[in-house]
Amino acid sequence: MGSNSLTLAPAPRSAAAEEVRAEVREFLAAELAAGSFTTHVDTWLSGVDPAFSRKLGERGWLGMTWPRQYGGHERTAMERYAVTEELLAAGAPVAAHWIADRQSGPNLLRYGTEAQRAEILPRIAAGECYFVIGMSEPDSGSDLASIRTRATRNGDGDWVVNGAKVWTSNAHTSHYAITLVRTSPADPANRHAGLSQLLVDLSLPGITVNPIRILDGGHHFNEVVFGDVVIPGDMLLGEEGAGWHQVTAELAFERSGPERFLSTYPLIAEFARRASDPAQLAALGRISARLLALRQLSLRIAGALDRGELPDIPAALVKDVGTTFEADVIDEVRRVVDVPASLDSPDALGRALAEAQLHAPGYTLRGGTNEILRGIVARGLGLR
Amino acid sequence: MSDVDLVVETVRDILTGYEPFVLTAERPWDAGLWSALAEAGLTGVGVPEEAGGSGGELADAVAIVGALAAGAAAVPVAEQLLVAAPAVLAAGLDLPAPEEPLSIAVDGAVTAEPRDDGDGPGSWTLTGTATDVAWAGVARHLAVLASSPVGPVLALVDVAGRDTTHAANLAGEPRGSLVLQGVTSAGALLTDAQAERLRARYALARAVQLSAALQQVLAWTVQYAGERQQFGRPLGRFQAIQMELAEMAGEVTAVAALVDAAVQAVERDESPVLAAAAAKVRAGAAVEVVARLAHQVHGAIGFTQEHRLHHLTRRCWSWRDEAGTETAWARVLGAGLLADGPDALWPALTRVV
Repeated sequence: MGSNSLTLAPAPRSAAAEEVRAEVREFLAAELAAGSFTTHVDTWLSGVDPAFSRKLGERGWLGMTWPRQYGGHERTAMERYAVTEELLAAGAPVAAHWIADRQSGPNLLRYGTEAQRAEILPRIAAGECYFVIGMSEPDSGSDLASIRTRATRNGDGDWVVNGAKVWTSNAHTSHYAITLVRTSPADPANRHAGLSQLLVDLSLPGITVNPIRILDGGHHFNEVVFGDVVIPGDMLLGEEGAGWHQVTAELAFERSGPERFLSTYPLIAEFARRASDPAQLAALGRISARLLALRQLSLRIAGALDRGELPDIPAALVKDVGTTFEADVIDEVRRVVDVPASLDSPDALGRALAEAQLHAPGYTLRGGTNEILRGIVARGLGLR
Repeated sequence: MSDVDLVVETVRDILTGYEPFVLTAERPWDAGLWSALAEAGLTGVGVPEEAGGSGGELADAVAIVGALAAGAAAVPVAEQLLVAAPAVLAAGLDLPAPEEPLSIAVDGAVTAEPRDDGDGPGSWTLTGTATDVAWAGVARHLAVLASSPVGPVLALVDVAGRDTTHAANLAGEPRGSLVLQGVTSAGALLTDAQAERLRARYALARAVQLSAALQQVLAWTVQYAGERQQFGRPLGRFQAIQMELAEMAGEVTAVAALVDAAVQAVERDESPVLAAAAAKVRAGAAVEVVARLAHQVHGAIGFTQEHRLHHLTRRCWSWRDEAGTETAWARVLGAGLLADGPDALWPALTRVV
């Protein structure tokens, strides 16, 4: 049937993953008890805490799957999956390092020069070096082929970058942006040609980071403006002109993880403390059944990554189904409790509802809109 | 080709000779298909040879049930292979010959009085009405979950010649009632946990059927969208239609992953109740989206009796609320996940499958 390219083999059960899961659980319980963090929804983008990130690095829970020579721990994607899932379920402040650990590191491992890897990867694994995704632009959201930020070589072989990136989460607290730039003029016959990725040190002169606040007043979004920024020639990532291909591979990491269905898990946990009547228990059951199915899909992708596959189409599907679920959770809970949503609510459930609702518009946008993702799934169905 | 693929291939070969048809009170099942399956030994798969079956694993039985569900086969194979036969065997009762259809009844008010006081399987007198009996009037034997003063009892009733009321689900599959007044039958006492597992196995059987049927509905709809031309091009070329098909695919893929995992939990002999509950609830929820969009894409032809689509969508609309409604299983799942207290919800979720 037509959906074969969407289907992955069931993930093998991993005793090692369950072992590390137990360790993370113990660590998180101790941190919560010590008051080192408080639980919030959507913390993988909004919960920046460098001290917490460094603690995870010390425990060996960052760069988990990377080679030891780069500070990694040579563990499986299944083990990494267990760690990320536990952190998200606890609503822990993991945003500082999240992008670096999830996709920039793997991106550097795949395409980086030896010097780039040796310099940067150990710092990411230590929880000390943070990254930004420099893809979207003011006039290019999901349509990345239309980006206009331009990099040209100067006489010294360095790159001079001009343009602007937008929706860059945590650019104000990060060290590098892997930036998609146009390195040769747009070719209407091949929209995906002429793009390259540059490894941009965000402290360079000519870079301005302007905050963009989201609906709860929080600041993780930014606009990053490049005005004649000179990037050393050896900071090209991968191959000149291969940016589109590299970005596509990166997106499989970006789209498939448990953060695509657990952003609002802390709301579910708070709801569980309240659920008692039959309608509430049924709502909790419906929510849980959907969550359990998403876990199975996401685990299958972790298994595929361990087999060395790059499951881009299943990753798009997980993100579509997962982020729809994240937002639906709010509605399921609202319908069966009498608690108004407010950030100032005396009730923890009211605060969780408010946080989840005010962040909700982002769930189905970031990492590619669900319409884009469904286009990819449709390709998997053989329709395009 | 694996053993499972081979079994599926065999079922599909047989199915080609038996197109789905509209079920009526006069023609409530596909007796010819049943005979062909029985002759091929497929109605005894998963039952050990020493118990009169054909051998094979649970995975083989699941694959057969899935292939038959996708073919809208009007035969009580899911009830027999996945629920009634394993339960009868586990209770130590004598299993009827696999070629005589066996079904299951877990609903209704049937009480069992012991006629002897021996340990293990014994003789019981059944009184009351078994309701929502799948394949009532079709099945030759019925495994009935009854209550007794000493606990739940699984009784095996020979229903040949007994009166059943004819009712039908949305697809016309017989779901009647059977009145039992002082019927003597073999039966065995179960623990409450065993009775709960039996109900869960029944729910999981429906989830297996739903998953297979939903996959087939998606495949038919993708195929139709590729063939049917409107405004000078195939429907599948329209972005709006692609969005709907992708949404269906998301639901179908999620259901398949969870149902597979729940079956594996049963294979590992772990307590299947919450896994089955989750699979049943998730599969039922997917029916809303998949059946609605499948009919939408098929247009008016898709809701005529002459088109094949309704053979599966009507079954899906019924199966999601059979063997325990979607809402009832959602409550079981919600309450079960909170068994160790609300703060243990996350650990519970990571244990279910």
